[in-house]
Amino acid sequence: MTECPTLTQFDAGEECGAQAGLFALLGRCLEAEIDERLLTALRGELREPLAEAGVDSACLDGDIDRVLGDAAVEFAALFVVPGAASPYASTFQTGALFQEPADRVARWYADNGFAFRNAHSGEFPDHVGTMLAFVGKLYEVEATALAESRVEAAREVRERRGRFVVEELGSWAPGWCRVAAAVAEHPFYRQVLALTERVLWEELSNLVSARRLRELSAANARGPARMPLNPDYRKASGL
Amino acid sequence: MTKHFNVSRRGFLKLGGTTAAIAGAVGGSRLHAMEQKLGGEDFSPVTGKPRQAVPYTCMVCNIEDGGIAYVEDGRVVKLEGNPDHPGNRGKLCAKGNSGFQHVYDPDRIMTPLMRAGARGEGKWKRISYDEATSILATKLREVIQRSEKAGDPAIRNEIVFKWGRNRTGGAVHRFMHAMGSNAMVNHTNICESSKKVGLEPSWGPDIESVDYTNTKYVLNFGSNVMETAYFHNPNAQRLVDGMVANKAKLVTFDPRLSNTAGRSDEWFAPFPGTDGAIALAMAQVIMTEKLYDDAFIRNWTNVTPERLIAHLAPYTPEFAEKESGIAARDIRRIAREFATTKPAATFSYRGPCKHVYGSYQEAAIHMLNVITGNVEKRGGYCLPRGMGWPQPEPKPPAGKVPSVLAAPPLYPLASHAVSTHMPYMIMKGDAKVSVYMHYYDNPAYAYPSSHVWIDLLKNEKLLPFVVSFSCYMSETTELADLIIPDVTYLERHDPESMPSDLRPWLGIRQPVIKPLGNTQEFRETLIQVAHKIDSDGTLGVKKYFAFKNSEEWMRAHFDNIPGLKEDGGYDYLKKNGVWPKYGKVDPETAKIVDKNGNEVQPEFGLYLKELSATDMAGAEVKPDGTIVKNGKTIGCQVNGRNHVGFGTPSARIELYKESYKKYGFNPLPVYKRLPSRDKKADELVLTTYKVNVHTQSRTASLKYLAELYHKNPAWMNPKTAAAKGIADGDLIRVTSPLGYLVTKVHVTEGIHPDVVAVSTACGHSAYGRLAQLKHRDKDAEWALGGDPDITHNVWWDDKGVHPNPIVRLAVDPIGGSQGWYDTVVTVSKAQPGDKYGDVKVSVEQSMKDYEETLRYAYTGDIHRANHKEVDVDWDHLPKPQAGAGH
Ligand code: SF4
Repeated sequence: MTECPTLTQFDAGEECGAQAGLFALLGRCLEAEIDERLLTALRGELREPLAEAGVDSACLDGDIDRVLGDAAVEFAALFVVPGAASPYASTFQTGALFQEPADRVARWYADNGFAFRNAHSGEFPDHVGTMLAFVGKLYEVEATALAESRVEAAREVRERRGRFVVEELGSWAPGWCRVAAAVAEHPFYRQVLALTERVLWEELSNLVSARRLRELSAANARGPARMPLNPDYRKASGL
Repeated sequence: MTKHFNVSRRGFLKLGGTTAAIAGAVGGSRLHAMEQKLGGEDFSPVTGKPRQAVPYTCMVCNIEDGGIAYVEDGRVVKLEGNPDHPGNRGKLCAKGNSGFQHVYDPDRIMTPLMRAGARGEGKWKRISYDEATSILATKLREVIQRSEKAGDPAIRNEIVFKWGRNRTGGAVHRFMHAMGSNAMVNHTNICESSKKVGLEPSWGPDIESVDYTNTKYVLNFGSNVMETAYFHNPNAQRLVDGMVANKAKLVTFDPRLSNTAGRSDEWFAPFPGTDGAIALAMAQVIMTEKLYDDAFIRNWTNVTPERLIAHLAPYTPEFAEKESGIAARDIRRIAREFATTKPAATFSYRGPCKHVYGSYQEAAIHMLNVITGNVEKRGGYCLPRGMGWPQPEPKPPAGKVPSVLAAPPLYPLASHAVSTHMPYMIMKGDAKVSVYMHYYDNPAYAYPSSHVWIDLLKNEKLLPFVVSFSCYMSETTELADLIIPDVTYLERHDPESMPSDLRPWLGIRQPVIKPLGNTQEFRETLIQVAHKIDSDGTLGVKKYFAFKNSEEWMRAHFDNIPGLKEDGGYDYLKKNGVWPKYGKVDPETAKIVDKNGNEVQPEFGLYLKELSATDMAGAEVKPDGTIVKNGKTIGCQVNGRNHVGFGTPSARIELYKESYKKYGFNPLPVYKRLPSRDKKADELVLTTYKVNVHTQSRTASLKYLAELYHKNPAWMNPKTAAAKGIADGDLIRVTSPLGYLVTKVHVTEGIHPDVVAVSTACGHSAYGRLAQLKHRDKDAEWALGGDPDITHNVWWDDKGVHPNPIVRLAVDPIGGSQGWYDTVVTVSKAQPGDKYGDVKVSVEQSMKDYEETLRYAYTGDIHRANHKEVDVDWDHLPKPQAGAGH
């Protein structure tokens, strides 16, 4: 039975739509280099809302080729070239590319009607940008359900989205954003990464208890553990 | 204790003892010793389901052992040896076991990259394989069209291809020849080239394969066969079989106590570069004491015992003692033991041959086997056995003009090139380069005076366009303009065969998983580039690459090989990895046995095979017995029988090498004292070595191996250290004429007092986070990649110091080998301000070394001064020309 949309549902639907757009944008910025179309949007209709969110796109003004070139170099340095901040859940969780987290995430996509197809070699389903885009897609589905007054369907997709954010992104993605932002040289990426981190925390704080949030915060803050050096080991290793 | 039945303990035992004695009559229980599983199957520990088993050929190092990859959910989860492989018989070494980490390394290059900033600045743009191959095709086509327009085929040699490890089975040659270029340069002169050039003119292609399993005595000169060396894993197994099961004696000559030296019955530490003197003295003892095989020398060599006795007269054990420091009485004793223990064999590797005049040293060691008649005997010193495969038709012809880089005119005998000279030749204007491609090659790290390569690679005038096919950001790849990453060896097709066993085999490398993340194998890249260069076929390139894909290319190699074809051709290899299947590995003896449990024996005495009547039809027997047909030697007649003989012009073993004499070198094995032998008392000879868990440069990023070995303090003898006031663990400065490095010292009895030894594989300035320990001291940056193994489990903060920058260029004028162990250094305590890892070297000084080493080449003044004994018209030696003699 189709219910008439209430005002709250309408607001929620609109908010979901906005969230879908936000996650889609963040996902797009992290998943691939900026192209001319995206640049036009970033310099145009997105300039003001981005500025309000803390991203000053003025750093993308100037000669198009130069701007796109500089951004592409920074993108490669940050996310592609060896030594970069590997944007994959598998790397973060297992220390190797394309491991079980990639399968898990791909299953999430499939269960929700999406398939991963890479545009460049060396891309995997557990890319943080793709995962953010997926959150955006779930928001979109929720927004559509709400617009069509399919309340149960909306609730169900909301619940799934929440689980995905907490289980697949919650323990590492905000921390990854912080580390990547810290080494980003291009102000646009620095700001977008900082924004992504804020958005993820915001999302998480709506989804989990204060205690769980503290746990996630600790997981994301992980610094390198130092194993104590045993001077006797020098001999034991034959050297 | 309660008695339950009326039998005393004594009676009880008696019953047991009697039963045991007649066990056969009583009959067996259902229980039997569990048969050891030799592999071939594996199961998921979680689900218990069998894992998919895909055979492949290992390529972490160059031994090319057979492996089985276990794949679960599309992922390689484990590697193990292929039990059907005759070489490694089901076992992989530590490197081979770790190889799958290459595939999933987060620091692997997964996409083509185009340089964006200055060369080496580290600024890249991601591009697609399609874009990358188009860019390369455009660059190559420009050179081809320029050459066409000018009507000058020499221009094609501006396309240069350099490799360190090329296991493509002819793909690179096909590609370069299709371009019309001969400018292909391998890495062999930093490896074993003088060993080959010491041997090949004497008995035909390639190096010895010792039948360790059945031998009684092995004389090992400078080979660390139990840890590294050529055919490390198969040879180590066979050597252990021989030492344990056959009670063979192993005697090792090595200035350093390697793990092979340590497991030898006797270890001698000679002064570096004097193995030849020892071998010649042993030969002198064997000849003068009449312990030689008279018939073999007379029938199967091109010298007589009398001639050898005269030639060897100066090389007394006392002479060798003076040169090597090894007591004359030991040299005599070992010589007698070697000559009187049958069968016996020598094995040698880098120790003797990686010196100036390394070819002579190798030839001297080889001679010991010849004069004692141990060649091609069971348990002896055998010819290598490999198998070939045909190249698909049509085959491109070689380029029209020889390349000076591939065949340097001053080194006509160096049939395995002189790759170390390449940067110097380019810098001096001897060769022009337009497109420089490199594959599995890291000279900016792995070559002597590696800083010279860095200098060249940074020079955009001399190398206008540099392409790397590496999937690792090595010290060399980071200086490229374009990177078109290959996949790892577990995702690629290659044909394979290596003489790693006395039973020859053919094998393949095949993708055990699909190339990760849609990366592209090198072979596909070559096909694409060839098609793009010549899209309409008018340049005559495309027709040589009419393969739909790599698998079709492989089938063209394998589907028509007699024997294999009947067994199923390429499909047989896909299923089994290696052909033929000689038998099954016996789980108790590890021998390959047939259905009846008998060991499958290799064939021996290959040179004795008789020529058939068909072979002899139209052949001529020359007065010296050489059998010639259509202008080619096909064998030799001995005692009235027509044998295939050896792969030389006389079909006999040519201990006397006319080819050497032509260029003023001594045709017989001799010893030439090296400048390092005349070092000052407080100086040391710097030697380098490989360790058992690493290759030269490619494995430092593998986690298992990096944890096992990551730092390389300099080995120094306690006496030497004490004389210099140096204590174990001290920071030291090692200074050569090129500059210095600062490292730590490991004081040990296991090194010659005149030697300081530093291993390779450490001290990377590139090759990924782990190899470099980049930012190990800065927490945030260290955590950057997010890899928890790196951030949490790297307990070491010492990546070692690489010795190559201070190693001087010096090559053997005969075989072209780099004299890795000829650099004289001083070692002192570090100076104030010195930091661990400091390296300071001079390119100018290295350029002087190049000039100096040319003086040893056959046109040089030092060559003439060092070869006064050679009876040749010194004023009319052949004129240098590219490709002469190669
Ligand atoms: S020796 Fe080790 S690394 Fe080399 S091919 Fe054999 S198993 Fe592989």
